[in-house]
Amino acid sequence: MTSGPATERPPTAPAVIRLRGVSRTYPGPPEVTALRPADLVVARGDYVAVVGPSGSGKSTLLNLLGLLDRPSTGSYDLDGVDVGALAERDRTALRGSRIGFVFQTFHLLPHRTAAENVMLAQVYNGTARARRRPAAVAALSQVGLGHRIDSLPTTLSGGECQRVAIARALVNAPALLLCDEPTGNLDSGNAARLLDLLDALNAGGLTLVVITHAAEVADRAQRVISIKDGTLSKARTREER
Amino acid sequence: MRMRPRRVVPERSVLGPVDLAAEALAGMLQRPGRSLLTMLGTVLGVGAFVAVLGLTSTATGQIGARFDALRNTTVVVNDAGTSREPGPVGFPSDADARITALNGATSAGVWWMVPLRRPIIGATATVTAGSHANAGDVPVLAASPGLFAVTAPAMRSGTLFNRSHEHRRAQVAVLGAAAARQLGIAQLNAQPAVFINGLPFTIVGIIDDVARVPDLLMGITVPRSTAERLFPPPDPGSRPAQMVIQTERGAAQLVARQAPVALRPDAPARLRAVPPPDPRSLRDEVDTDLAGLFLALAGISLVIGAVGIANTTLVAVLERVQEIGLRRSLGARPRHVAVQFLTESTALGLLGGLIGTAAGVGAVLAVAIVRQWTAILEPAAVLPGPVIGALVGMVAGAYPAIRAARIEPLEALRR
Repeated sequence: MTSGPATERPPTAPAVIRLRGVSRTYPGPPEVTALRPADLVVARGDYVAVVGPSGSGKSTLLNLLGLLDRPSTGSYDLDGVDVGALAERDRTALRGSRIGFVFQTFHLLPHRTAAENVMLAQVYNGTARARRRPAAVAALSQVGLGHRIDSLPTTLSGGECQRVAIARALVNAPALLLCDEPTGNLDSGNAARLLDLLDALNAGGLTLVVITHAAEVADRAQRVISIKDGTLSKARTREER
Repeated sequence: MRMRPRRVVPERSVLGPVDLAAEALAGMLQRPGRSLLTMLGTVLGVGAFVAVLGLTSTATGQIGARFDALRNTTVVVNDAGTSREPGPVGFPSDADARITALNGATSAGVWWMVPLRRPIIGATATVTAGSHANAGDVPVLAASPGLFAVTAPAMRSGTLFNRSHEHRRAQVAVLGAAAARQLGIAQLNAQPAVFINGLPFTIVGIIDDVARVPDLLMGITVPRSTAERLFPPPDPGSRPAQMVIQTERGAAQLVARQAPVALRPDAPARLRAVPPPDPRSLRDEVDTDLAGLFLALAGISLVIGAVGIANTTLVAVLERVQEIGLRRSLGARPRHVAVQFLTESTALGLLGGLIGTAAGVGAVLAVAIVRQWTAILEPAAVLPGPVIGALVGMVAGAYPAIRAARIEPLEALRR
């Protein structure tokens, strides 16, 4: 039994994310409950924004969804796999192959070209070396950076850096793209172009969960879930907003 | 209808050897300047290790070569006497000629310490026992002319007595440098004499250095025939008469066996020939002592190098926390992170070891060229250099690598 309200209508598409009574409590002292028991279903092709103020539990939810942390209670199925029962090394492998991360700070390696940064995502999942560069070039082209393949991050704008980070997240064809404040370091023009890109990716069938506190980012999502004091609220669709 | 979740194990995340090497190389090249500085400790340590071992073996080789040349060609024959009391010298008067007639013997000479009781020795005839001018503690030696051929003295002035003096039992003397100084004799222009118990001996030469029998430098040497005529015979108990033979290389053992019979076919047992000792044992002792000292110094250098690598690798780990978090988010397991950092530190150690080995070999060659020595580089001193460097890098990188593996991706990505 979960105490949080239901946050989703029954999906028609297969679920990429299915949380049941998931909570996260950090042992103290003092003990802190960062996320109260919650249910959440994100269907394939869904575009969900999680909004809330600082300290509301957004990052905790992102870490749980991204397999960077384990819930204290409840169960989590990712793309049909019950990840709670997996050993850490299997969770790591799953994270590398099924989840793409986009961070507020781009986390690009400054001494590597755009293509090499993208190819880094293929190192740990066993992609053959010969297939990496073509895949990286395709991913960079997909985000509109086909002409900056061999550029170093130091020569790219903030918006371009974030596009490289998105290409890196996409190159392994993940089931889920997790974005943590993706426009946090971008000016309004670059932010708008990046959101257009996310829209396009979602239109192509990619499942997106975006953690943000920016209204213009949340407005792009099909559904918006608010989080406050660790409690998820009911999702609001575009029509309900 | 609720779908039953799969309980499947996904593919394992991997880091193949080629990827590991490529990632480690990229990590090292991120900051080439710091990588070079990191290597420096190992370069110095391994370089010192190779250089000291190479210089030790090279220097010892030179010592050994000279030592061998001298010792391997010297045979000593002692006169054991017939009793404990002094008696006639056991070596015949033509001893030098008998020995040089042997195959392999190049020169030979007899000598002994003349046993004088309360000697009075001075540069003038007026010296008495109680006067300050009495140099009674200057030893008096008797020698056959052949001894000078064996000892190859370096002359300060004058000449040496010869077979003619010996034959005539002439009262001539050769002074060693120390004896000349004690007697106050520096020049031979005025034909000075030395008085031994009132007996005058004309000084014919002063010697500065000898290759063998250093006693010659300390004393007054007179012809053996003269000594036999004027002084008591040698004491076989304390300082017996001795013959020193110089041989060709490789002939010493043979000459040592033949000499007693050649000298005294009537009583060969009276003479004891001492063949040259095996110089290798002595050289090995020298080698061991020097190598131990220098190895300790090289070890200290390596420890300093290891601390340097550990320190800089730890700093690199702390600086690359975000990169570690990123790699973890991309599917790297903690062991992948640890192995990458360990590979980087090991590779830096290996490179440092290679450079250090080259530098050490270069140092040995440079010293050998300058000193005109033959460089001796044992494989055991050179080949382990890169391996030692790699081991130092691996050990030094172990702790930083463990620290890197323990970094939580959550924490790392938030920085």
